[in-house]
Amino acid sequence: MKKTLSLLLVLAMLVAMLAGCSSSTTAETEAPAAEPTQAPAETVETEEPAADAVVVDTKILYEADESMLNTYTLIAVNPDAPFTDADGNPVSDVAVNTAGADALIHWLLSQEALDLAAAYGVEDYGENLFYLLEDVPVYDGEIAAATEETKTIRLSTTTSVNDSGLLGYLLPVFQEEYGYTVEVQSAGTGKAIAAAQYGNADLILVHSKSQEEDFVAAGYARTVDGFDSERVSFIYNYFVLCGPSADPAGAAECPSVKDAFAAIAQGKYTFISRGDGSGTHTKELSLWPEELGITADAESFADYTDWYISANAGMGACLVMAEEMGAYILTDKATFLAFVANGGQA
Amino acid sequence: MGSAAERAIELILSADRELCNILSVTGRMSLASSLLALLIGLPLGVWLGACRFRGRGALLVVNRTLMGMPPVVCGLIFYMLFSGVGPFRHMKLLFTVEIMILAQVVLITPIVVGTMESYVSAIAPGVRETAKGLALGGGRTLALLMNECSYQICSAYLLAFSRSIAEVGAVSMVGGAIAWKTNVMTTAIMQYTNRGDFSLGIALGMILLSLSLLVNIAISLLQKGVSR
Repeated sequence: MKKTLSLLLVLAMLVAMLAGCSSSTTAETEAPAAEPTQAPAETVETEEPAADAVVVDTKILYEADESMLNTYTLIAVNPDAPFTDADGNPVSDVAVNTAGADALIHWLLSQEALDLAAAYGVEDYGENLFYLLEDVPVYDGEIAAATEETKTIRLSTTTSVNDSGLLGYLLPVFQEEYGYTVEVQSAGTGKAIAAAQYGNADLILVHSKSQEEDFVAAGYARTVDGFDSERVSFIYNYFVLCGPSADPAGAAECPSVKDAFAAIAQGKYTFISRGDGSGTHTKELSLWPEELGITADAESFADYTDWYISANAGMGACLVMAEEMGAYILTDKATFLAFVANGGQA
Repeated sequence: MGSAAERAIELILSADRELCNILSVTGRMSLASSLLALLIGLPLGVWLGACRFRGRGALLVVNRTLMGMPPVVCGLIFYMLFSGVGPFRHMKLLFTVEIMILAQVVLITPIVVGTMESYVSAIAPGVRETAKGLALGGGRTLALLMNECSYQICSAYLLAFSRSIAEVGAVSMVGGAIAWKTNVMTTAIMQYTNRGDFSLGIALGMILLSLSLLVNIAISLLQKGVSR
């Protein structure tokens, strides 16, 4: 049995190698034929005067649509959650700093922190990057100071929050005042939630309602004293649809953002997808016309690879890619404004 | 590129506090892990190279396989082991510099073993013959052997250090690239690249390469000294 298996393996490797060789040889034979026609075009291009000022061509085409609402939510991790190890066996004594998570959530929902968050961005970009939710549950109770056991708080959050600079602006105030140290790990929402499920975070700050609800439903969340729900939503902004200023798909004139996405798909204009299970990615998936059937599964967009690019990268890197390719992209406004302010370098 | 070089110089001259922290974490991690790897790998490599015993071939194959271990796989294994739900969760090592060092040691020790083994196995017969001719005892034969490969030890250490300072897959998994704590040069470069700030990434890359250059010059001088 083992022998046949290993034989099969060797055979498969041989076939793969042969296939690799033959495809590379065809590529080689094709290359010289293509070169002469390409070469003159290249020289023409290099002779063109290079634009000396960096101007970002990508611009906001669609914003402030109800369906583009981007709400950020805090969830404290439940120490008694049904944690399981890699093999699926239950694990009971997972260390979660509940007191620290409580203190951070209490502070973030205090009037002081909310005022700071609401003012963020006005100074640097002349525009609000985040807005307070109207029904935000302001906390006016006591906030516990750090003790030796509770002073390190592990916050797992999304790249968009971290890249916008909001945490770097808020957290030092909190740390100074109450003596905690907040360790921030940032990844796409999917990975940020996974870190909590592996017991590596005390609280999460994410922006993908469906994934948050799954997290709560699975029993990983905990209601913090002073709040009614496990999910404490507090700030929001808008996702924006960006694209080349020429807007070949006419996205800006569409009656709704869903129509704009349909127009992009219709004309097969290049679109950069985050493709990394982040909140932005999840939102983008919900905006495509249903008949296309685009999901997070790579199989689902295998037929659209001529225009749909799944980048599997952070927001900033994707914006650079969109700028280079003259592509359409869905982004959170904060990262986009930072990207433009730095002349196309997020 | 020009602006990146300017930013690199600007960063160094301004003695940016975050940069200093990143540099010190990077230095601590790569020095500690490469020294530990040398400490473990050197005796193992010499033993495998100089002695002939049953199972040596199998050990060599295992070592060569480990030499090719993808860093991210090593990182993933350590992440799962030391995770909040993993078997070693009580040690509370995840997202610390210590576990980054540990993961690095696992990655680079096989490289030290491999380089030492291949060199020692080539010179061992000659050394053994000389020792026999001079009627040296076991201890002095070993001393002679070590003296013969002192140049190679420097090379092995350099290889270990270079791999350690340049590695990103494993350290970003187990360290989490937490600012002020476990962010090293490579993970910082990754972060800035992900944000699209390529020029700061290149600036940090330049600093990293210059650091590597300095260490290489130092070890090369040492190598010259020992080979004389």
